[in-house]
Amino acid sequence: MGILERITKNVDNKYWYPENDTFPVKNRYTAGVAGQKFFQELKDNGKIYGTTCAACKLTFVPAKLFCEQCFAELDDWVDVGTTGILWSWTIAYKNKDDSKKETPTLLAAIRLADGLLVHWLGECSPEDVEIGMPVTAVFKDPGEREGSLLDIGHFKPVIS
Amino acid sequence: MRKVAVVGAGMTKFARRALETPKELSYQASKAALDSAGMKLKDIDCVAHGSAPDAFDGIHQKGEYLADGCGGWNKPTMRVFVGGATGVHAIAHGWYHVASGLADTCLVVCEEKMSSAMPHAQAFFLTIFDAITERALGLNLIWIFALEMKRYMERYGYTKEDMALSAMKNKNQGLKHPASQFYGGNELTVEDILNSEVMASPVSRLDVSPVSDGAAAIVLASERTARRLTDKPVWIEGVGWCLDTAYWATRDLYYPRYTEIAARKAYKMAGIREPHKEINIAEPYDPFGYKQLHHMEGLLLSPKGKTVELLRDGHFDMDGNLPMCPSGGLLGVGNPIAAAGTLKLCELFWQLRGEAGERQVPGNPRLGVAQAWGDLMQVSSVVVMGINNA
Ligand SMILES: [Zn+2]
Repeated sequence: MGILERITKNVDNKYWYPENDTFPVKNRYTAGVAGQKFFQELKDNGKIYGTTCAACKLTFVPAKLFCEQCFAELDDWVDVGTTGILWSWTIAYKNKDDSKKETPTLLAAIRLADGLLVHWLGECSPEDVEIGMPVTAVFKDPGEREGSLLDIGHFKPVIS
Repeated sequence: MRKVAVVGAGMTKFARRALETPKELSYQASKAALDSAGMKLKDIDCVAHGSAPDAFDGIHQKGEYLADGCGGWNKPTMRVFVGGATGVHAIAHGWYHVASGLADTCLVVCEEKMSSAMPHAQAFFLTIFDAITERALGLNLIWIFALEMKRYMERYGYTKEDMALSAMKNKNQGLKHPASQFYGGNELTVEDILNSEVMASPVSRLDVSPVSDGAAAIVLASERTARRLTDKPVWIEGVGWCLDTAYWATRDLYYPRYTEIAARKAYKMAGIREPHKEINIAEPYDPFGYKQLHHMEGLLLSPKGKTVELLRDGHFDMDGNLPMCPSGGLLGVGNPIAAAGTLKLCELFWQLRGEAGERQVPGNPRLGVAQAWGDLMQVSSVVVMGINNA
């Protein structure tokens, strides 16, 4: 059911009928005022935006509607580029069912402006990873993007 | 205990499917409350936060998620949740922080985003019942309310029309609240309510408050700080709360005994002996039309079984002896669970300061009571606010 096609008649809603043996736990989320623009830019233009609080001299990534430190409403949008600094990382060798992964999964915390974006690290092997190295976003093809954080497939090291 | 004042209040529009995230809604209400008090976030010592089941916003431990939107960055921040009673309970919770001397200022923020629940927030209520004795029946709250409403009507011989009259009063009053989703809309008649779709007899669709997204906030301050900030502080005169248990067997549904116990605690603290004579404004919890009447009895503001008579006589009208839900309440403004209770505290703040605009109760009201109710139909929280504590 689409978000605009809500059930308006109680009787149409089968979710809490006992014979329907499923548990009705389902949510849909809004990206919000700031999220709307942040994800639109990601999807349409392959850009990563932050919002800046001039008073606190901070640029939040992902963009926020408000400064958590001084409560200013933020509308100073800044293109922070698509390359950040590897701040921390970890690695997983096994799948949830205990089987061995074909290639280990690398998860990274990437510094972009004053924010940290958590994402996958790809196109590199564990022995090449160094904290502090520049990493850049690899976007999916424009036609495959849907306004999600996964419009970025992964980050990869910048080869200098 | 130190005296505690309310020095600011603010809220978002109560509407379904707001664009804002739960965090952004919290921020908007918090900022509005701070602005109304002429304060900055740095002036706040601690945050008392209220939000009902995690399921509605769809984030487990949503207190942590919401904290930055509630101004909790680098501050002591605590969440309380007692279902529908949360919005008033959170004020009692914030009151403790200031009354105890632990903090001079406290930002109280309540938020709920109901529209993320799919296909409908009601579905989540299945999960609040006893897993063995009740959940197997596939209950939702409308059915449970129907049982209580029927029992209440049966006990006193109240009719469906009596209950519709109660709902109509708030729905039409809500048209005057700028935060209402019905603001400036058309008045309803008793017929409209009686003719609306039956959901679970005797509950019809318009007997029920509308599911909404929203947030509301108030700012609490110690006496010294309050007097520096404003020449119109509104004092918290008394707080009380009480839980019955979710075990129904020993309780007759027609009367909210736990509400009376909570109210007596709050009145005692406020030095109120005859609440029905001393209270100028009542904001009883009104998720359904019958509930506000039920609660007026529990709050000792109306004799048991006489409430419909008083309602019909205009006793609870804006110009009556005891104006009831001048805000329009949950029925008239909207019902984002936790925020709906705080709406009532915001209303008392504006009413007692004479700032309620076209909803202003005449005659310079000096003492008001707000109450919220929830969990599994068995908890009430009560706060008395006044301006005569010189
Ligand atoms: Zn700032």
